[in-house]
Amino acid sequence: MATTSKATSPPGVAARSSGTTVPPTGDSYRLEVAHLTKRYGDTTVVDNLSFSVPPGRVTGFLGPNGSGKSTTMKIMLDLASATAGNASIGGRRYRDLANPARTVGAIIESDAFHPGRSGRNHLRILADATGCSYARVDEMLEQVGLDKAANRRAGAYSLGMRQRLGLAAAMLGEPPVLILDEPGNGLDPQGIHALRDVLRAHAAAGGTVLVSSHLLAEVEHLADDVIVINQGRLVVQGALAELQRSASLVRTTDPSLLAVQLEQAGATTEKQDLDGLVVQGMPLAEIGERAFANGVVLHELSPHAGSLEQLFLNWTTDPSNPEEVIEL
Amino acid sequence: MTMKRLIRSELRKLTSTKMPWAFLVVLVAIAGINAFAVIAGTDFDGSKGFISTEADQRSLVAFAANGFILAALFGAIAVAREYGHHTVVPTFLASPRRHRAVLAQLTAVGVSGAVLSFVGAGLTVGALVVSLPTTEYSFLISASHVAQILGASAFAGAAGAILGAGIGAVVRNVGGAVTGAVLALIVGPPLIVQLANGTASWMPNILATVLAGVGTDVSTPAAVGALIAWALVPAVIGLVAVERRDVV
Repeated sequence: MATTSKATSPPGVAARSSGTTVPPTGDSYRLEVAHLTKRYGDTTVVDNLSFSVPPGRVTGFLGPNGSGKSTTMKIMLDLASATAGNASIGGRRYRDLANPARTVGAIIESDAFHPGRSGRNHLRILADATGCSYARVDEMLEQVGLDKAANRRAGAYSLGMRQRLGLAAAMLGEPPVLILDEPGNGLDPQGIHALRDVLRAHAAAGGTVLVSSHLLAEVEHLADDVIVINQGRLVVQGALAELQRSASLVRTTDPSLLAVQLEQAGATTEKQDLDGLVVQGMPLAEIGERAFANGVVLHELSPHAGSLEQLFLNWTTDPSNPEEVIEL
Repeated sequence: MTMKRLIRSELRKLTSTKMPWAFLVVLVAIAGINAFAVIAGTDFDGSKGFISTEADQRSLVAFAANGFILAALFGAIAVAREYGHHTVVPTFLASPRRHRAVLAQLTAVGVSGAVLSFVGAGLTVGALVVSLPTTEYSFLISASHVAQILGASAFAGAAGAILGAGIGAVVRNVGGAVTGAVLALIVGPPLIVQLANGTASWMPNILATVLAGVGTDVSTPAAVGALIAWALVPAVIGLVAVERRDVV
């Protein structure tokens, strides 16, 4: 498993973009999921899933539709019960936190508001429940750019405005932990950019951020770490930069022959151009040694930085062996 | 997380949409129908005997039974829409020990049901006061009986709203919850009376008339206890269901 170095700003520092202050965390707000399983009847939605989300980093939570991301997040937030295993926040279950909504800010349903209620009243209801001030409500409305529309019915909001209302609700209690399910859906480029700034600043101030998204290009810009699941099982977890460097590019006079030999040794390969081969699952040195042993002439052998999209497809399109966890 | 905060949050939920106004319109319409009946209605003999005595007038404005049913619909809609619009998600995130959130919701819905029914009774009494001068009869109901009518309506409204909230929590969609409340309060009681002899006195509408002082089928304490039981059974079932179910 890739080790992740913490590149955090000193805890307690105000995150300027978000206007929030994240309290000192250390590991007190590390998210842990241990051997989590969720079954609905005969269907296993989450299958012995384990991962850890450290504070001070933005962690992308990726997987195809129906892979169990939302269910996992709901279990972490005590909205759903686990069939087996457990999830904790700083070592405690969500329900055992002293003031859970001010410890964890969450977006689970993008439309979790009454369409006939104004955005301001929606946030005031949450403020009442969590003990936040109405001044904080106005501050958040301004921060997400909804201050002008605050008294309009939320049902008349665009999808992007609804997402921003959801983000305002999640961050209302200045929580050190954010668990966000698809927060970028429907946001325009400016909204995406603002969301990225807010989440990066939150992590930089020591906060814990777990964000699921289908927008892989956005995750590529946003996440320090990624957790990828497929069919409810962990496929890969690690620092995104390391994962992206985990492939190698080989240029050779006979890419077909080398591909066969490397695949027999357990690597996965993909042809690139006429003479190129992208190799995964085998160290650079071993590729060179195997090419030499088989008399294959190499013109280039170098680390290959793959796009997250390509990596994601590689990780999630082979359901025949989803149990294998890629370790770096 | 204090209960006070949760109750305040739930009360704001109930007052920050148009639903209470819609119910107020219904109450005004009921009061208007009552006023029209006093002004234009007659007995078979063409007289206005139906408002000639204090007992007649009390029967006309004994709103508690209506209040119970209306408040039940209010409670059912108020709670079921929480699930339909997913607004229970932030509620349960703020209060993951869900029984506290449900108790806060039942309290807020109960208070709102009481207010709704109290206002309905007040409007009905007011309609009678306004319409009686068009007849040869004056307002005959004593102040203490007016107070009893208002108090009984408030109590029946609270009980009805809690019953409706329980149904809403179990059914979780507005159409189903309204249907459930109608079945429980309008279709169910006559069926129960048909199937079980001696149960008529324990049906909610009869219990409400006892509280309003226009029925004597059971004692007042018994009526209070039975109406509480009508409210609490579905509320407890709803509470257990909410605790056990995933929020999906």
